[in-house]
Amino acid sequence: MPKPTPSQTVGPFFARELLWKDGGIVLFPGRGDRITLTGQVFDGNGAPIFDALFETWQADANGTSPSGDDGSRPYGYGRVSTDTEGRYAIETVMPGPFKGPGGETYAPQISVAIFARGLLKALHTRVFLAPLEVIKDDPLARAIADPDRLKTLIATLDAKDPKVYRWDVRLRGAGEAVFLEF
Amino acid sequence: MAATHADVHPPYLYPDYKSTRLRAPAQPLVRVAPSPLETTGPVFPKQFVKESEADLTTWGRSAPLGEKMVLVGRLLDEDGRPVRRSLIEVWQANASGKYPHPVDDHEAPLDPNFLGKGQVLTDDEGRYRIVTVKPGAYPWQNHAFGWRPAHIHFSLFGNAYAQRLITQMFFPGDPLLAIDPIFQSVPEAGRNLLIAELDLEQGLEGVALGYRWDMVLRGPRATPMVV
Repeated sequence: MPKPTPSQTVGPFFARELLWKDGGIVLFPGRGDRITLTGQVFDGNGAPIFDALFETWQADANGTSPSGDDGSRPYGYGRVSTDTEGRYAIETVMPGPFKGPGGETYAPQISVAIFARGLLKALHTRVFLAPLEVIKDDPLARAIADPDRLKTLIATLDAKDPKVYRWDVRLRGAGEAVFLEF
Repeated sequence: MAATHADVHPPYLYPDYKSTRLRAPAQPLVRVAPSPLETTGPVFPKQFVKESEADLTTWGRSAPLGEKMVLVGRLLDEDGRPVRRSLIEVWQANASGKYPHPVDDHEAPLDPNFLGKGQVLTDDEGRYRIVTVKPGAYPWQNHAFGWRPAHIHFSLFGNAYAQRLITQMFFPGDPLLAIDPIFQSVPEAGRNLLIAELDLEQGLEGVALGYRWDMVLRGPRATPMVV
């Protein structure tokens, strides 16, 4: 079996190469409740990470994996960089829950990959768009078990705007988000 | 990244590469199977990629400075199967080691005829071909007298989100590989996998050097647990 190609950092110089106009607006063929997922990415000192590439992949409003494209870009995929305050924003639709091969239910969630200078490999995780009591049977929620760690993956509804979900990501140290290996 | 591939993938924390110290997670990763969503991935339409984007040397009014090269290779999965119709994005410094990027403060000239950005879809056998110029080495401030070896950045999608990979390709015989903490972060068994080989006949006679570099992505599903 051939060995997989090792990962290397995306480095600091990708903005002109990898970013797209409207990359933060996720396309779907069907309807759905429009939402925005936004927050900041922080390092181990609590400083904002201003040069991260933040990517999302998610199911549509019915919980179906997107396939195909609108003729210009793929459905279901978002790609932005963080700004000088470490902030990212993804405008998308609320994903529906979906079933796994064993009948298990995946709660509404978005798969996230973060790349940056200083990250020799992608950081993969999933952000939940539902409160703790709704996600408790999700396969990842069960695998994490510890509610304090699980909370690092739960986006919270903005008190003033019910279409905005806030999720901050700490890569290291206090409040460090849970990251995954597949 | 699967734990079973720790023999080829770098760790998150590699203190010689200083930026990892505050960005590498301290907690162990949680191991889960890819969700049904993550065994699928974005599908790029054919028209997303223009054929001309595989040639980085035709962007300007005339040819860019530097050593022209053709890079060919295949994108495979761990079972050796071709990864078909999959997006490959590349970007790189110009022949002087300069990126057209506002935060690149290296005092080397920009080349008005070189943007250093391209993309290509693999064919039905997983093959790709790009034409470019060899990127220059450049200094960086990680450590005293630090220089990055010449490299081309690659962004790969495979056919599943769980296969997503960003990496760098290096050149054979480059003495800077020995002092580059980013390259050296890869365990010894993996390092050769990042180095292209000279393949002169893939070049253009009298015009461009030929190189070959194959890439391998993990399978789209869960990697079996090693006990």
